[in-house]
Amino acid sequence: MAITEKTPLELGPGDSVRYAERPLGVFTRPQGGRGWRDWLSTVDHKRIGILYGASAMFFFLVGGVEALLIRLQLAAPEGSVLSADVYNQVYTMHGVTMVFLFIMPLAAAFSNYFIPLQIGARDVAFPRLNALSFWIWLSGAIFLNTSWMVGGGGADCGWFCYSTNSGVAFSPSHGVDFYAIGLQILGIASLVSAVNLIVTCLNMRAPGMTLMRMPVLTWMLLITQFLLLFALPVITVALFLLMFDRLFDAQFFNPDAGADPLLWQHLFWIFGHPEVYIIILPAFGVVSEVIPTFSRKPLFGYDFMVFSGIAIGFMGWGVWAHHMFVSGIGPISVAAFSLSTMFIAVPTGVKVLNWLATMWGGKLRFTVAMKFAVATVAMFTIGGLSGVTHSVAPADTQQTDTYYIVAHFHYVIFGGGVLGLFAGLYFWWPKVWGHFLNERLGNWNFWIMLVGFNLTFGPMHILGLQGMSRRIDTYARGYGFEFWNMAATVGSLLIAVAVVIFMWNVVKSKRDAPHLPPPGPDPWDGRTLEWSIPSPVPVHNFDTVPQVHGRDEWWHTKYAENDEGKVVRVATVEEAAQTGEATGVHLPSPSFWPLAVAVGLPLIGYGLIFNLWLALIGALLTIASLYSWALEPVDDPDAAHDHSDDEAEATDPVAADDSTEGDQP
Amino acid sequence: MSTVAEMRTAARRLLPGVLVLLGAAVATGCASDAELDTFAPQGPIARELHSRGVLPVFWIAAVVFVGITIAMVWLIWKNRVKTYEGDDDWPAQTHGHVPLEVGWTVGFLVTMIAVAGIMLWSLPTVDATEDNTMMVAIDDRSVEWAPIIVVVGNQWWWEFRYYFSDQVDLADLRAHGDAKTLPPADIVTSGQMVIPTDEEVELIITSRDVIHSFWIPALNGKRDAVPNRFSPWKIEASDPGFYFGQCTEFCGLSHSRMRMQAVALTPADFQAWVDRTSADAVEPTDPEALAGMEVFSGICTSCHVVEGLNDDVFESADQASGAAPNLTHFAGRSTFAGGIFNTYNADGSLNRADLEAWLRDPNALKENYTVPGEQYRGMPDLDLSEQQIDDLVAYLSGLGERPADWIIEATQVE
Repeated sequence: MAITEKTPLELGPGDSVRYAERPLGVFTRPQGGRGWRDWLSTVDHKRIGILYGASAMFFFLVGGVEALLIRLQLAAPEGSVLSADVYNQVYTMHGVTMVFLFIMPLAAAFSNYFIPLQIGARDVAFPRLNALSFWIWLSGAIFLNTSWMVGGGGADCGWFCYSTNSGVAFSPSHGVDFYAIGLQILGIASLVSAVNLIVTCLNMRAPGMTLMRMPVLTWMLLITQFLLLFALPVITVALFLLMFDRLFDAQFFNPDAGADPLLWQHLFWIFGHPEVYIIILPAFGVVSEVIPTFSRKPLFGYDFMVFSGIAIGFMGWGVWAHHMFVSGIGPISVAAFSLSTMFIAVPTGVKVLNWLATMWGGKLRFTVAMKFAVATVAMFTIGGLSGVTHSVAPADTQQTDTYYIVAHFHYVIFGGGVLGLFAGLYFWWPKVWGHFLNERLGNWNFWIMLVGFNLTFGPMHILGLQGMSRRIDTYARGYGFEFWNMAATVGSLLIAVAVVIFMWNVVKSKRDAPHLPPPGPDPWDGRTLEWSIPSPVPVHNFDTVPQVHGRDEWWHTKYAENDEGKVVRVATVEEAAQTGEATGVHLPSPSFWPLAVAVGLPLIGYGLIFNLWLALIGALLTIASLYSWALEPVDDPDAAHDHSDDEAEATDPVAADDSTEGDQP
Repeated sequence: MSTVAEMRTAARRLLPGVLVLLGAAVATGCASDAELDTFAPQGPIARELHSRGVLPVFWIAAVVFVGITIAMVWLIWKNRVKTYEGDDDWPAQTHGHVPLEVGWTVGFLVTMIAVAGIMLWSLPTVDATEDNTMMVAIDDRSVEWAPIIVVVGNQWWWEFRYYFSDQVDLADLRAHGDAKTLPPADIVTSGQMVIPTDEEVELIITSRDVIHSFWIPALNGKRDAVPNRFSPWKIEASDPGFYFGQCTEFCGLSHSRMRMQAVALTPADFQAWVDRTSADAVEPTDPEALAGMEVFSGICTSCHVVEGLNDDVFESADQASGAAPNLTHFAGRSTFAGGIFNTYNADGSLNRADLEAWLRDPNALKENYTVPGEQYRGMPDLDLSEQQIDDLVAYLSGLGERPADWIIEATQVE
């Protein structure tokens, strides 16, 4: 941001006054407020986090309805709820929605909201880019789903969309076009966000917050951002080739023109496997915060946890072809990827044992958040171990593309990822909203979801080993699939009940909040900096940027160990917590341009599919908005803040963005 | 927390373990009525794959799972508290223990080295090939046949090609490079692959359109059929039998209705099958079947070939099968329409109901893509009259010799 906004600042000392006169009226920055318009222009990382979270939960419901349709269709043999055509669209969009429109943005919600709070920053490094990444993500998400209305149905090629089945000849509707373009738009959002959050982690940490003092959630989210940064260009290339193949006969994947359909598989999985860790690492981070808090112990082996996370991030790049053991790649390739897949289980197993060791000798208080966190570890362990069973490539020839794999990755992604993020929702809800989620409803939510989850996906192990193929819209009687399919369908309905209870909990806990004592800054006796500030978090986060002395800074502010190693309180929360009453903190001003840039992208998408003139309009809108963004003044002079630092602002462009205030080496 | 609640917690922790054990029990116990069961290997390759590659790693995973689950249940049971009793209620603050952590890192490493050993030990079971040959009589001469079957995936049916006279191998086909114009074969059949017992049969797997995956779980794992790629695979059955399969790579609209079976016959029965199936179709004598032949020649000929009837209208009979299954020995197979319907009922009579329904409205039974005049993938609706359907059924049911009773019986899965 500093680069684009340097230009007006470099007009010369005499010109700086022109800000106050608003050089071009149209470029005046909007002011903060309370109305809905403020949500459209917000650059506050907390509001953007909430926008991500709320939209992700909406798409969770969309993907969930798709999941229920799948389960209803498969409840009994010869299911007739959906036609084969519609089933293929529904299962494809279920996968795409859950991965790109639910788990990734929910993790992005946590990244946006908590990375700045955990490292003691007032905002992310590039607040407007942060808004841009959300709006691009949302426009991509909406674009993708409009294919149901205007594209002749959803994509029908599976989320992996293997060539040649993804070609126009084999998938004639526009579904795959929407997939190819929609995912490119979503990819831009993730890339922008990744760059932003990496810079935030590296540059915006509070004084004393060294990398090896960062909370593990932030660490795992940082690793996730690096994975996004390197993985998304690969899928973007693949999607771009697919788009050109479909729209402009580019022949990248046409075997009759000499192309090799396996090229797509390699490109897809070079992205697709790191994507698994993109999904699971944020949940690992959440669990690593929740379990220590409710065990009243620090995380066992912080360094091992951080480095095993990094190791997973690295090794995640070397395992992609284990999705292709039966594709006909040579035996040496198979053996190599089989071995790398096995050894990625080592850092993962270390994490599981370190969580258990954190609980060892602890005092475990089973709040709903803790229940979800422990369940995450248990369910992920099952998913991880079933993964080991098909890392043995010859065994995988019996298991790949069966329901055994469906069971495996749902234990990893739902059992690990989703349950972990639910732990995070219950844990940080009071921090974000200033009131607890109801624990009694939360217990119902937890138990029904856990039972439903196991009832849905546990039997799929059996179905897979009994030979039930994936991605089939129907199965015949007499193959022994009837009972466990019905069980899985019942389980999926239980998951739906649990989700409804969660939504009711959101409504009810808000309604009950005025009659209950507020949670205060630190309801769980937390360990990291976000618990040292009021709940909900004031717009400026920290009254004064904290000085960090070690890991678990906030805990060490409250407690110390005496000579006998016993924990003694040295300060109460009331004494130590910030009040949030600071005034005159200079914050980045809102902007509408990120939204305007984002609106142009789906227009380009529709234009490429239906009419190139529309693409031109979209491109013009995006480019014009980018220029407007660049020409927008650094700040609205009328925004209420203390002007005592204006002089420093005029001479030092970096200091102009007060969100960097806490950034000291 | 009440005792009931505690027990509930413990029970919940145990449930996944119970489920997995139950699962293993059911998976292994269901072999009799689960024809695709991967835990019921029948042939030597599948058995070795199962005992070397699958079971050892399942045991390792089970041991680790039980260990972690017990540890977790014990930790929860021992360390749970209802609330914290104020500021003094803190356990010892352990930050880590490097030797311990190095210990379990090494522990996992050793476990994974064991798993790697399993993998390297079992890899040859799917990759090593034998140089076996058998004698086959074809066109009144005897040839030494290296059992190779070319397997071609199509939307949504499998074609199996047998080369006895001019044998082809992997290198030949890779040099040829195009799955749409394969060299003419002695036998072209679909849906059901017939193999001799006690011979390792090499499969050369390819596809004409999208990626499919060939899988007969009782005889071996699966291998993808990739357009214009030729991938080697192998199967072997020790006993005569009927082995079910299903396409396992998503291949578009009617992927779930793309099935296949392997029929293993003794060498003598195999030779008899070769004799029957390499022959051209015989012109029927029954008037209804003759009328059916007329309908076939007028309509079905656009896509289907019956050798001896209409192979002259195609450039080459074998190329024609790129559009639709070769029907020369339709009635000699116990399933039709991509292996999804039984050709015969349990009592041995023709399954007239499904055959008529299929001819009447194929899209209702197996969805297809049709762009009239341009593109037909899957069997399109032909607007046949009831009379035409009856005639066609009469004609088709006379194409080829009815399979043995035990095959018809084994085909029934319900």
